[in-house]
Amino acid sequence: MSGKEFFQDRYRQLGWELYEVKLRQAIRINNTCVRGKNIFLRLKSIGLQLQKIPFLQAGYWVLDSPVSVGATAEYLLGLYSIQEAAAQIPVSLFSQLRGKKVLDCAAAPGGKTVQLADAMENTGGVVALDVDKKRLTALTNHLERCRITNTVAYVLDARQAPSLAVEFDRVLLDAPCSGNFAADCEWFGNRTLRDIERNATLQKELLTKASQCLSSQGELVYSTCSLEPEENELNMDWAINNLDLKLQEIDCYGQKGLTKVFGKKLDSSLSRCRRIWPNETQGFFVAKLTRSKGHES
Amino acid sequence: MKAKTVTNFATTLGVNLFLNPEVIIEKNGRFYLIDAALRPLMGRSDFFYAGLFLGKAKAGKFFPSFPFLSFLAKKNANRIVVDKKAAWLFICGRPLFAKSVVRVFGSGKKNTNVLVLNESGDCLGFGRITGDLTAHSEDGEIAVRCVSDVGDFLRRER
Repeated sequence: MSGKEFFQDRYRQLGWELYEVKLRQAIRINNTCVRGKNIFLRLKSIGLQLQKIPFLQAGYWVLDSPVSVGATAEYLLGLYSIQEAAAQIPVSLFSQLRGKKVLDCAAAPGGKTVQLADAMENTGGVVALDVDKKRLTALTNHLERCRITNTVAYVLDARQAPSLAVEFDRVLLDAPCSGNFAADCEWFGNRTLRDIERNATLQKELLTKASQCLSSQGELVYSTCSLEPEENELNMDWAINNLDLKLQEIDCYGQKGLTKVFGKKLDSSLSRCRRIWPNETQGFFVAKLTRSKGHES
Repeated sequence: MKAKTVTNFATTLGVNLFLNPEVIIEKNGRFYLIDAALRPLMGRSDFFYAGLFLGKAKAGKFFPSFPFLSFLAKKNANRIVVDKKAAWLFICGRPLFAKSVVRVFGSGKKNTNVLVLNESGDCLGFGRITGDLTAHSEDGEIAVRCVSDVGDFLRRER
């Protein structure tokens, strides 16, 4: 069970018609680094044309650039990061990050880790985990470039996160997933339903361990760049039924989460999630969870 | 010892730095400055990276990180400000000529280290002074040789 037609039919059943999308390049301003510097004037002077992304606080579309946006002095000085627009959403869903203890479960290559640290203004602490040492090296280069000082990184499978023996105020689980066709032109040829089911199983394991690290008043943001309900709504439905978690209302770009998937009726609170079908951004799914007890909706 | 490795380097840029040895951790030849808020999150000692990366020591030589160089720039280290074109060339690892040096702060002595800043005040790296920083002739000799520059982030990706 694979191929473009197979997935096209699935998306149609979920209420979305597949079409070719062209992603727009986006950057995110690192506010902690740009303090006191006129970043926009500087970027304009090197010919970068930017447009504010309406649904993001520090995100900008790159309309035109005479040079690679990853090779400017301003980039090398950490004044901005290259980060896909939808990928900037998960971190923006947390409330009050300053001074908090934050866990970033599958952190590499580190775009969201830097975004977290930036939103925290280098206060509190971020624990960034990843199983892949090579990818974690890329993350640490990112931390150094952006002058991040409040992060500790471990080569560690997030399923072992409880071994850190820390209760976190905020947990980001941007789970390893199947991805989507908008970010990978070979996607339809490479993915099968079996891969998706395998990923969904891993994601449930990660959700279980991540939730064990969450404090009673904490917030857990779950995200994937997959369009497949097995990795998204179905996982969230499983989480609220098995992990002492409930979904919180979020106000962000995207459509309400599905409450009926391939004939199966899900909990009505699944509509609190956001499903982002590819358009100007890649596909994404985001949800915010808190403990069922001890946290106001 | 850990703090001395770091402060000795600062001295080469004219900064007498005091660092509490207890806030510095060395791991695999890499030095980190750990903030008090981060300590409670470091229950495991097998971390890969933590806090403010200060630099690494290899074969008895200290290689500073860019955040540490920026920190030293704010501590009145010996530094020069270069014009826009030279700033870009420096990031590409190229040497600097005296004609592109806009301002000199601190010692400009030959065979000493100096931080290199652009006109916006960003620290781009550091170099070794090899010539006269104030010689403004068109065909002047090389004034500063690049030792380390932020273009390194691009080179690491290759």
